[in-house]
Amino acid sequence: MSTIELRGVQRIYAGVAALDHVSLTAPEARVMALLGASGSGKSTLLRLVAGLEPVDSGEIRIGGELVSAPRHTLPAEDRRIGMVFQDYALFPHLTAGANVAFGLDKLPRAQREAEALAWLDRVGLKKRADAFPHELSGGEQQRVALARALAPKPRAVLLDEPFSGLDPVQRAELREASLATLMATRTTTLFVTHDAEEALLVADRMAILKAGRLLQEGAPREVYDNPASIETAAALGPVNVIEAHVDGGVVATPFGPIAATSLKPGAKVRGAVRAESLLLTPGARARVLEVRPHGPHDLVRIEAEGVIWRALVPARTPLGESVDVEIQPAGAFVFPA
Amino acid sequence: MLFALTTASEASFGGDLLREGAFGTLALVAVGGGGATILGALAAWLVTLCQFPGRALFAWLLAIPLAAPSYVLSYCYSTLTWAGGPSPIEVSGFWGLAFIYAVGLYPYVYLSARAAFVSQSASALEAARTLGARPWSVFRRVALPLARPSIAAGAALAMMEIAADFGAADHFGQTTLSTAIFRAWYGHGAPALALQISAVLLAAAVAFLAIERWARGRASYSGGSTRSNSLPRYRLSWFVGFIAALFCAVLVLLGALLPLAWLVRLALLHPHLGDVVRPLLNSLLLAGGGSLITLVLAAAIAVAARRGRALGKAALYAAGMGYAAPGAVIALGAIAVFGVARAAGLVGGLAAPLAITALLWTYAARFAAAGVQPIDAGLARLSKGVDASARTLGAGPWRRVARVDLPIAAPSLAAAALIVFVEILKELPATLILRPFDFDTLAVNAYAYASDERVLQAAAPALLVFLVGLAPILVLTRGMVRTRAGFRADRNRL
Repeated sequence: MSTIELRGVQRIYAGVAALDHVSLTAPEARVMALLGASGSGKSTLLRLVAGLEPVDSGEIRIGGELVSAPRHTLPAEDRRIGMVFQDYALFPHLTAGANVAFGLDKLPRAQREAEALAWLDRVGLKKRADAFPHELSGGEQQRVALARALAPKPRAVLLDEPFSGLDPVQRAELREASLATLMATRTTTLFVTHDAEEALLVADRMAILKAGRLLQEGAPREVYDNPASIETAAALGPVNVIEAHVDGGVVATPFGPIAATSLKPGAKVRGAVRAESLLLTPGARARVLEVRPHGPHDLVRIEAEGVIWRALVPARTPLGESVDVEIQPAGAFVFPA
Repeated sequence: MLFALTTASEASFGGDLLREGAFGTLALVAVGGGGATILGALAAWLVTLCQFPGRALFAWLLAIPLAAPSYVLSYCYSTLTWAGGPSPIEVSGFWGLAFIYAVGLYPYVYLSARAAFVSQSASALEAARTLGARPWSVFRRVALPLARPSIAAGAALAMMEIAADFGAADHFGQTTLSTAIFRAWYGHGAPALALQISAVLLAAAVAFLAIERWARGRASYSGGSTRSNSLPRYRLSWFVGFIAALFCAVLVLLGALLPLAWLVRLALLHPHLGDVVRPLLNSLLLAGGGSLITLVLAAAIAVAARRGRALGKAALYAAGMGYAAPGAVIALGAIAVFGVARAAGLVGGLAAPLAITALLWTYAARFAAAGVQPIDAGLARLSKGVDASARTLGAGPWRRVARVDLPIAAPSLAAAALIVFVEILKELPATLILRPFDFDTLAVNAYAYASDERVLQAAAPALLVFLVGLAPILVLTRGMVRTRAGFRADRNRL
């Protein structure tokens, strides 16, 4: 297993940068999540690492070996990088077993079949080895695709939204099972998703992309607690945003002050407060407009001085018509505007 | 009546003729059809999945031989290479005929294989690469197996054409089932024997259809993927790219450009323009009327079959049979059906209006399938939800056909019209059997001169068959080359 390093990588489609000077390192034997909306360049990044497309500038190294630079692209077939495609891309004319064996063609036949079967067993599909892809369920197809990518012992594995086609229950189960397999095999993993919760849940490191640019990279906790910008704060969960001026070391909002000691007095700033960092107690500061169940939380819309914010509170918290609001500092951030 | 022969000597002669014809057809199908399949599949792979100089141009040009019927090619190559011709290599006999089939009919395989390669999921090919497969290995282990049903379908078409071909086999003096029918019918006045041979030929055609169906087996070839990235093309090295371009160029040259140039030269050397005006008008008349009738029939079959009506499905199968059946066979069937007129005393053929009717009927029976296929493909773009939502909006079946199905299939309908028009224009054996006395089409005209050893005079009508057929082919394949997901997306953006 090897690290994957990108240095100043750029990829341009028809004059528009799909990836714009992105530098990041996916550490060895760890799972790194790439989080971003569609069009953020996260899938492009995977394709560049896989060697399916060339870089326009910058370079990519795998385990220290230079694999991509302008006018130098080590072909995908020589990279030993496994990939699980969003649509799984199983070979429809081959059985599950033959799909997994596809990348093992350098082994003698008997060994190849044994190895493929062992991998299918690992993902719990030994019995389905003779089934064709269209005879498998979506979740089974995903597991075959993962086994197929891991079987040739690649230097790293790339997953392109591998759970997006599944229903929520299956999704959680498969995610755990896949992660267990990846951890057990100590596989360097780059994992693309647009689901913040998924990224926080599975990743050792995460990188947030927007419009081809890397916004922030770090451990999930670190990124969550110290977002570098309004965008990264918003990428990991609902936030309330306000524009204001620093006055006396704080930024005043209709719901209370946010500390802003590091910024110059009078500076124009943007404040962001996570919805789950608003503590509501019965009181008089803000009017409760609406309470909606949201899983283990209630989503509450509160209004003060004409401004409406969203708050996530433990489900069935008794609130009444109006509330007092406390902004918890851990989830409140101020950025220069 | 079918198997009742009058005398023992006739029976023995019939047996010999049948055996010889069956062997000839089988050998030509194997060699010529096999050659067409390999050439077509290879060309399709090169232009869709590889990158080399001239690729886009060849993607278009490679379909051109479709405009040249085998008999036209055979007249070209005979004058070009037989005694007195400019070529030192003689294209003649069995191998010459097999060569003509291979270079003239490979576009059937090329077009269907190309369509299959284009629609293949890019990610399946990319997945193969990430698993360490090199270009040739990706072709052999993924692209080719996935395209196999389409290649088989194209090969079956090419082989049906070979089995049905009369003009070229006749000109090259080869005994096949098709030429045997004519020999039995005209040479020996043995209609029963002709019908018998027809039955064998029909059985062979049915076998082709069955083999194609069977080839699919349990594996699915469509893949679950509809996500179409632009196809990744392998950039061939300078030398390999040159070989690829040369291969495509030679195919186009042998299948179309060389014969075309030679025909133009012959036609200029021996201008008989006045002689071809009437056959040309007759050809246009038959092809126009025939394609109109065929198209109505094809559209009805396609719509009914898609609606899942049992009758529509049966009609679809019948149309497939008609397409597989050689023209001579259907023409004999038409004579049987319209034979009432013969019984009424019209000896020596059918009277003109009845004969024309019989011909149009034959064309419709023979070519409906060629029209059904593109129309059905057009209708396939329509998701089930569209028909359902038209129903929830209160549209009855006729209104849905008129307002939804037909407008959506309109471009395909135009394509189908072109295909059927060209097919009828090129058709020789059925026209030869059923035409009214003194009613020459271009094809019949060319055949008559060629079989009279006056091949030079055959050049002008043969050239016209080629040229009239060429225009629609060019338009059609240009459209096909452009209907890629990427191109459509560009168009939608405008």
